[in-house]
Amino acid sequence: MSSPISVTVRLFASLREAAGTDRVTLSVAPATPVGALWSHLPEALSAGAPPAALRYALNHEWTLPGAPLRDGDEVALVLPVSGG
Amino acid sequence: MTGLTASPLDLAALILAVSDPEHGGLTSFLGCIRREDAIRAVVAIEYQAYEELTETELATVAAEAASRFGATVACVHRTGRVEVGEPSVAVAVSAPHRPEAFAACRYVIDQLKIRAPIWKRMHYADGATEWIDGRDRVADGRSA
Repeated sequence: MSSPISVTVRLFASLREAAGTDRVTLSVAPATPVGALWSHLPEALSAGAPPAALRYALNHEWTLPGAPLRDGDEVALVLPVSGG
Repeated sequence: MTGLTASPLDLAALILAVSDPEHGGLTSFLGCIRREDAIRAVVAIEYQAYEELTETELATVAAEAASRFGATVACVHRTGRVEVGEPSVAVAVSAPHRPEAFAACRYVIDQLKIRAPIWKRMHYADGATEWIDGRDRVADGRSA
């Protein structure tokens, strides 16, 4: 059994406000997909389903929900942006 | 010249940055805060960016405009609070002729709106504020 990895999650907009911080560190199983991180967030943040158009960035580049995480990765939860 | 700034936008600096003796067309665009009285009066919008990815996207969009239209692009977006009527984004573009200059300017502002991860927090005249980010929640009134 492999030991958990540590990933940083960047928070923006209402997520940042609800958390009272701009990032949280989560401990998850190795190779956890980026898209599964939502359910690991503190309860105050993960309440309700993730927004339908939620996108993800991994180490400052766009990525897909299926991308596997490695120790030390930084994930940004990119909530829908309203153009205009 | 692309990026974010917490200071008032300086369109003159952007125009200077794209000025080129080989470019006969130079155009610019300012996106400003709408009051939207008929819906709910806005007094300001606060912008919060995912800085690293926004910088990358702005530079990529500028490079795409250069390659598609032969244009030189300057583009800066505000962070922090911007009052109604004030600009939150500025684009200046030069190209050899005006059709490419207009097309490139339009391309840059349209792509920026889609691709730059910058969120808006509306500040309304009644004191309420609201993040526009697709999350379900009760708007947090701040009138007290």
